[in-house]
Amino acid sequence: MNSADEIKRLFKDAELSVDPDTDEKVFEDIRIARQRSEVKLPAVPVGIGRILMKSPIIKMAVAAVVIIACFTGVFMFNRTSGVALADVLNRIEQISVYMYQMSMSASGQMVAGRPIDQEMDVTILVSHDYGMKMMTEMLAPGSGESITQEMYMLPQKKAMIVIMPGQKKYMQMDLDDKMVEQTQQQNNDPRLMIKQILECKYESLGISSIDGIEVEGFQTSDPNYLGGMMGQVDVKIWVDVVTQLPVQAEMNMQIGEVQMHAVMHDFQWNVTVDATEFEPVIPEDYTTLAGGPIKMPAFNEETAVQGLELFAELTGAYPEELDLMTIISKAGEAMGSQLARDRMQQENRDISEQERTRELTEKIMPITGLAAFYMQLVQDKNDPAYYGEIVTPEDADKVLMRWKVSENEYRVIFGDLKAETVDADVLAELESTLPQ
Amino acid sequence: MIEDRLLIFRFKQGRNGALRQIYDKYKIEMLKLAVVLTGDVNTAEDIVHDVFVKFAQSAQRIGLTGSLRNYLVTSVMNRVRNHLRDKGRRCETGLESADLLCSSERSPHQWAVLSERLTLLGRALQELPYEQREVVSLHMELDLPFRRVAKLQGASVNTVKGRYRYAITKLRSLLDSEVKI
Repeated sequence: MNSADEIKRLFKDAELSVDPDTDEKVFEDIRIARQRSEVKLPAVPVGIGRILMKSPIIKMAVAAVVIIACFTGVFMFNRTSGVALADVLNRIEQISVYMYQMSMSASGQMVAGRPIDQEMDVTILVSHDYGMKMMTEMLAPGSGESITQEMYMLPQKKAMIVIMPGQKKYMQMDLDDKMVEQTQQQNNDPRLMIKQILECKYESLGISSIDGIEVEGFQTSDPNYLGGMMGQVDVKIWVDVVTQLPVQAEMNMQIGEVQMHAVMHDFQWNVTVDATEFEPVIPEDYTTLAGGPIKMPAFNEETAVQGLELFAELTGAYPEELDLMTIISKAGEAMGSQLARDRMQQENRDISEQERTRELTEKIMPITGLAAFYMQLVQDKNDPAYYGEIVTPEDADKVLMRWKVSENEYRVIFGDLKAETVDADVLAELESTLPQ
Repeated sequence: MIEDRLLIFRFKQGRNGALRQIYDKYKIEMLKLAVVLTGDVNTAEDIVHDVFVKFAQSAQRIGLTGSLRNYLVTSVMNRVRNHLRDKGRRCETGLESADLLCSSERSPHQWAVLSERLTLLGRALQELPYEQREVVSLHMELDLPFRRVAKLQGASVNTVKGRYRYAITKLRSLLDSEVKI
């Protein structure tokens, strides 16, 4: 015995096995211990889950967040690649399955001025073939109870599914054929943040080191990040100079009154996964959050007009900007007041909690669809413009929103929400009459 | 690591198969670690059994982040240290005086079955001071880097490397006469 290597080999060759019968008995002890510990827990943890579901306004906000997650997921599958940093992009596009961690915190005022102060850890698994899976864990304020949630984006099943074990609930959102088609383009490439940075104006942060790995950093604060949907952003990403793969990323976002900070780390590339990983398991005793699948609105002109109409009904004006979180927050405030007025009427109606949730969720759909449609126009470079800051429902003939539909033609939605296709010269004339 | 996160997530959600998968994935490694650290198969079995029982009861307290393997290794190490400390006290008061020896003789309900080499290795390791035994076991058996071992021992990397060198020198002389690799 003359070297450490030989001693190491002895360690590795020194085998231990288990007696199968005793092994089963030991595991049975462990299984029972688990079972008993579960019995001690309340069936529904007292925490944010209960609080969320008690308030209709917050319930609507939760539904909105789910919808946002869905929209984000769809867009994640629908991006075209940039040309800069092409080596990094090419490198990651060769990878069919990857996974990473995201630590996220949000603070500020959310819907209807309600404060939010929440931290969460998210594990994200992405596969070209099967879709995306997000596993979220957060601690409930006050009780400190751990709350977990699973979200699946499944292009093959044309669905997004959210499972909430704390509430024993799940929610399914069906995607239409166009959305599914979009998800199947671009090799199902979901690397949203990386591609977004590549498409935005960005700068190099130079060479540094993360956990002993030499990295080059890149930063963007381009307002066009995510089609301008996410408000003010500051995004940084660090790429391994050897492998040309991302090592860490950081995002700061000011969305309406909410400040969000997210760090993506522990990227794992070429992960081996089984198809069953993307098959949501919904226990029999779980019920749907909304009494059945909710249909995602199409990202089109019709949805946009409905969204503008609903927003104007609720607030008396069109949204000043079309970033998603801001318009949801404003609509939420208005809807909250309306709900309070209608509360007696609602409570007198013989409808279930599920139906009420479904009503609220469907009600907010056109507003989220409006923001998503505009975001898509921005990302597709259809030369969109929106004038909600200066055009009101009374300005019947003023251009409220427009986008390019062909070489020389634009589609225009006017202040009275009628829509027309006009050529570029007419549009220029119409826009010249807008207040400066 | 990635698979572990998925397993932990499923375990926290009460999925039936997740606990079994975690158990099957780590039981041998943890038993082997406990055997080489304690030198006694019965004690090692008790420790690993307790570690998994405690783990099974801790679904709500275990976070998604961090390493499942590190969690289990640390749990085994803490229990081994507690056991040795308690044993030391019992020895002082005359309650227990026999030296612990790795035994390859199986009792009727023995869980772990040790190879001859593991028995030999376990016995040799008991001749080392405990800190050295830990260093060499964690580094050689679990392939933990010295930096990680230093963190687990609350010592500097240089101290850990020193313990490793002493341990290897002594193991060589102990094993030379008994093993032909």
